[in-house]
Amino acid sequence: MTCGAPLDVRDKVSDSGWRETPRLRDMTEFKFSASTCQVEGELVPVAEIALAPQDGVYFEHHVLLWKDESVPLSSLKTAGGAKRSIGGMPHIVTVANGPGRIAFSRDAPGELVVLPLHPGMELDVREHAFLLASHSISYSFVRIKGLANMLHGGSGMFMDRFVTSNQPGLLMLHGNGNVMERTLRPGEKILIEPGGFLYKDSTVTMQTQQIQLKTGMLGHHNMYLAEMTGPGRVGIQSMYVHHGSGE
Amino acid sequence: MNTYVCRFCRQPSDPSQPTCPLCGAPVDIKDSISDSGWVKQPPIRDLAKLQFGQSHVQIAGTMVPIAEFNLAQQEMVYFSHHVLLWADPATRMQNMSMRGGWRRMMAGMPLIMMEAHGPGHIALSDNHAGEVIALPLQHGQSIWVKEHRFLTATGNIRYDWTSNDVWYTTGDSDEQETHYPMGQFGDVFTATERPGLLLLHAPGNVFIRDLQPGQSMLIQPSSLIYRDATVRMHLHLEYPRNQGFSFWRSNFDYRNIFLRITGPGRVAVQSIFERPEDMEMIRNHSYATRHRW
Repeated sequence: MTCGAPLDVRDKVSDSGWRETPRLRDMTEFKFSASTCQVEGELVPVAEIALAPQDGVYFEHHVLLWKDESVPLSSLKTAGGAKRSIGGMPHIVTVANGPGRIAFSRDAPGELVVLPLHPGMELDVREHAFLLASHSISYSFVRIKGLANMLHGGSGMFMDRFVTSNQPGLLMLHGNGNVMERTLRPGEKILIEPGGFLYKDSTVTMQTQQIQLKTGMLGHHNMYLAEMTGPGRVGIQSMYVHHGSGE
Repeated sequence: MNTYVCRFCRQPSDPSQPTCPLCGAPVDIKDSISDSGWVKQPPIRDLAKLQFGQSHVQIAGTMVPIAEFNLAQQEMVYFSHHVLLWADPATRMQNMSMRGGWRRMMAGMPLIMMEAHGPGHIALSDNHAGEVIALPLQHGQSIWVKEHRFLTATGNIRYDWTSNDVWYTTGDSDEQETHYPMGQFGDVFTATERPGLLLLHAPGNVFIRDLQPGQSMLIQPSSLIYRDATVRMHLHLEYPRNQGFSFWRSNFDYRNIFLRITGPGRVAVQSIFERPEDMEMIRNHSYATRHRW
């Protein structure tokens, strides 16, 4: 399995260690299982999948751009439907099976992040950031622990969790703006605006840190940042909704 | 002796580098000038570094660029708290004291400015697809910036804000509403003691031009990003000739609202701007020129 990253460009790493996600060239094609994915467009890229007969992908239903008439759709069984609805996550995750063509895109300028998952990997993704995942990846969601996290952390009550068991799989995300990744060493910490968080290895722990900002006669504001602690990868997006300050 | 002056930041610079070390503009490209005289501000190249004092900032990304600061000991930047993307836990952050909190809040301006003190790393980004603009300011130099375009400034740049005095009112007595087509206030930045660096973020593409003394132009009020302190501005109202298709509307409520900018001085505009507001009759307004076709 490949990820479509251009091989003839050097890694772009900032001085502080953030690596830019390789920008996929227009019409880049790569394989997963027996299927093919082609990425089209650069501003709001589209992922076009040619599904082989034995393959399938699942996705949130509103990211489906178009499909062949012959591609059957079904829904994925997800646990905790009511909790998901309360948490603002899609109640239904849709599955498309091959053979046939189907295409996906989200509705903001940004980048596609292609994450091939090897067997035995676990990845946490902010809600509403995943574009599609191949059928061999199991899907669940995790509740972010800690009251402050849930109420003020800004990355919502739930994160999507993707786990591979014996087989590899393909996970594609859409990050708003530019996407950067950094690998934290064991115990290394970084503070991130919760809206900028995109994904992390499940080995990276996430806690909320509160910063109180005084505004003179007008009282104070509280600012909440997500403290990420390694080891593992952390991905961020440069365009985000600021989840604000509790007053 | 260095005689090279960067075409974009107007500061003495180093032509041997691929990008200007003060503003990040590429040195090795030709100017891209439209027939009408607007110069396209070239985007700062991915991972270009800008030096200020003992610190530097690296611009990462091209769609919604991130400004990543490596702050030296004793150096500081300030910014509105909602643009903070990430920070090293070692970077000391605190809020900056601001005057006129109530008026700022009523005008929808950021109420909280934060300071980040070195040593440490910190990264800032806005949330629109667009460009980061770097404006190095010489000691004593001032520049006016439209509200909400400010990303960050070095500690020696003084921040002030002033009323734009560009407004109009619509509606009757109780329903009267005051509109500020370019915001109620503008930010004014002045370098004190030594040169400093000001970073702005503009949605879309950025175009600049130098207006000659007395030369004026009409622009969309919300498209203005920054202007030299010497450039004057006021409201301009145009009423298109009624061609009959809108006979039910008064000649007075069918109008276009522009900003007239008059040189001398440099101005910059962005290609994304806010949609003009509804067409209601203007009852009163700040000083304006008019044209009825």
